[in-house]
Amino acid sequence: MRNERKRTFMLITVPILLLFICFNTVPLLRGVYYSFTNFKGFGRFDWVGLRNYIDLFSDARVGRSYLFTFMLTIVTTIVVNVISLILALALNSKIRAKSFFRGAYFLPNILGALVVGYIFNYFFTYLLPAFGKLVGIEALQSSLLSNPSSAWIGIMIVCAWQGIAMNTIIYISGLQTVPADVYEAGDIDGATGWKKFIHLTFPLIIPFVSINMVLSVKNYLMVFDQVMALTKGGPAQSTESISYLIYNNGMSGGQFGFQSANAVVFFILIVVISVTQLKISGKKEEQL
Amino acid sequence: MKLGLPKRLLLVLCCASVVLSFALTGCAAKDDQKIEIELVQYKPEAAVYFDKVEEAFNSTHSDIHLTISSPNDATTILRTRFIREDYPDIIGIGGDINYSYFVDAGILADVSDYPGLQNINQGYLDILEALELIPTDGIYGVPYVANAAGILYNKDMFEEHNWKIPETWDELLALCDEIRAEGILPFYFGFKDTWTCLAPWNAMAVELAPADTAKMVNRGETTFSVEYRELSEKYIQLLPYGQDDPFAYGYNDACTAFARGESAMYTIGSYAAPQILSVNPDMNLDSFVMPACENASDNVLNSGVDLLFAVTDSCENKEAAYEVLDFLLDDENLQQYIDAQTAIPCKNGDFKLPSILDGMSYYITEGLMLDYQDHYYPSEMAVDAQLQTYLIEKDIDAFLTKFDTDWLRYNRDIIRTVQAYEAAHGDKE
Repeated sequence: MRNERKRTFMLITVPILLLFICFNTVPLLRGVYYSFTNFKGFGRFDWVGLRNYIDLFSDARVGRSYLFTFMLTIVTTIVVNVISLILALALNSKIRAKSFFRGAYFLPNILGALVVGYIFNYFFTYLLPAFGKLVGIEALQSSLLSNPSSAWIGIMIVCAWQGIAMNTIIYISGLQTVPADVYEAGDIDGATGWKKFIHLTFPLIIPFVSINMVLSVKNYLMVFDQVMALTKGGPAQSTESISYLIYNNGMSGGQFGFQSANAVVFFILIVVISVTQLKISGKKEEQL
Repeated sequence: MKLGLPKRLLLVLCCASVVLSFALTGCAAKDDQKIEIELVQYKPEAAVYFDKVEEAFNSTHSDIHLTISSPNDATTILRTRFIREDYPDIIGIGGDINYSYFVDAGILADVSDYPGLQNINQGYLDILEALELIPTDGIYGVPYVANAAGILYNKDMFEEHNWKIPETWDELLALCDEIRAEGILPFYFGFKDTWTCLAPWNAMAVELAPADTAKMVNRGETTFSVEYRELSEKYIQLLPYGQDDPFAYGYNDACTAFARGESAMYTIGSYAAPQILSVNPDMNLDSFVMPACENASDNVLNSGVDLLFAVTDSCENKEAAYEVLDFLLDDENLQQYIDAQTAIPCKNGDFKLPSILDGMSYYITEGLMLDYQDHYYPSEMAVDAQLQTYLIEKDIDAFLTKFDTDWLRYNRDIIRTVQAYEAAHGDKE
């Protein structure tokens, strides 16, 4: 009986493992291999040793793309999680038409990022400046996306608008795991409002906070669609995210080898960040 | 799961039909001795034309079956296919640095034995030859059509206000002032799409910088800081004549605005005409050569190979590929392409040029044309984005210094190849 169970598990696991190796591990290793060459994506190529990696750390454009991506990630993660937690608290309370609102707030998540991007593109280029002129706010009169110092805000808004939906759902399900008797006990001790949230609710939903943090950080580190639809890396290369740079210069530019090196470094970085995040939040989890 | 008998029967039938259809197609391919030719071309806007050509070709040729695809972003798709060593028989690409790379990589076949080359305008063959990173024996592409960049203008508006076509740089600036004085916007820029920053740049560069600037730099004979200074200084003088916040609007926005008469001129290439006319089909559109010099006689038209066909080295049946090229170069088909895309034919012959090229036709017939400088820029260097940065920051020294340092960085391998070649062949020249 036990052997048969084992065999069934193996039968399920092995094909998946093979597929994973075939479509994930092998390309990854090939990418590592190409990162040591000056491969353009086609034709002849030479072995260049560590040149790509050395270049990577002296390339201002790559450096700026890391800066941009990290800034965007940090800001968007904070914005998304704060807003979606507030939304989740509101949507979890006893309000009218609760299911309608839950559905409505989830809507952005089912739209394609590119579609949303193009709609917002129009919004930032034409509608917002027109509104700015109408009410006379200087800062809004020119397009958010045409200024190198403000274009990232546009991308942040679109990322957040879309990202909040999923995070809210996760927080709502988190809030529903908090048992009612904890609140009853809190009520007896006289906890209300903010105190109730910070001492009772929040510690109990920490696992959900950490899931959301990991998901957000990973999503925004790999931001691509929004950049593609809104700015294509511009203006003045101020919104080139790492993924966009890898795609753009690796595929349509002739830097397949160099950008493979970039991808390898980026991969290691994401692994390190995710593991650290999980370790830190794992320590803070409370068990009832 | 237990299925009823009818359902099980149905399942068996389905499986059987799938297997059978595979077997049948297998047979069909074996019986039929048709030669398959696959053509991938990079102009999605001409997809309708190529669909028609494909149909016409297949209905007149019983021995060859032609498939033409016109995907978006075909250069990326081609490169991705090349990584997998999967080559179409013929590729239709532009005469730019990708062509240089493909020739250098040995992907393209020598087509100098193609008889149709005799009718091709020598000027365009020379342009292709100049694009080779190091001189390579043979001809690797058949130029199909060319385009030209300069200034498109609203003819009705010009006639109404009695504006004259400028022939020197000073006349152009004076004209812009005059247009603005009448409350009309001289230019509408689409600088949000970085590549549009290259259009005026290229058009002015043919008059203000040596045609082989990039090659001279590769040989270490000059720097961009020297050759591009006047060009950069003049370029930025155009900016005040555009709309406010030009970096907020893209190519589509600019075409639409120009077509609706929001500006008198647009600094772009002839390729923009179909899109402009699709917004306003009644527009009276014409063009003139960008006058960047002090002397009218020094003006040169900026024109390059917009579409060329190259046979790949792995094509098994060159004769069949040549037959496809013959069909594409057929006068009637070529004329259809010219009409649909407002292009300039690279083939000699009695073709009717689109009327929007009237203002440039003198230069075309006289052969006063020079290639786009950006055809020599490596795409990963993103000169378009650097130009956009320059237009925003307006710091000429930073721009030119970065241009020079980035050039050396991104062209390292090319420069090494060129210098090795020079060292080996230098004494012959």
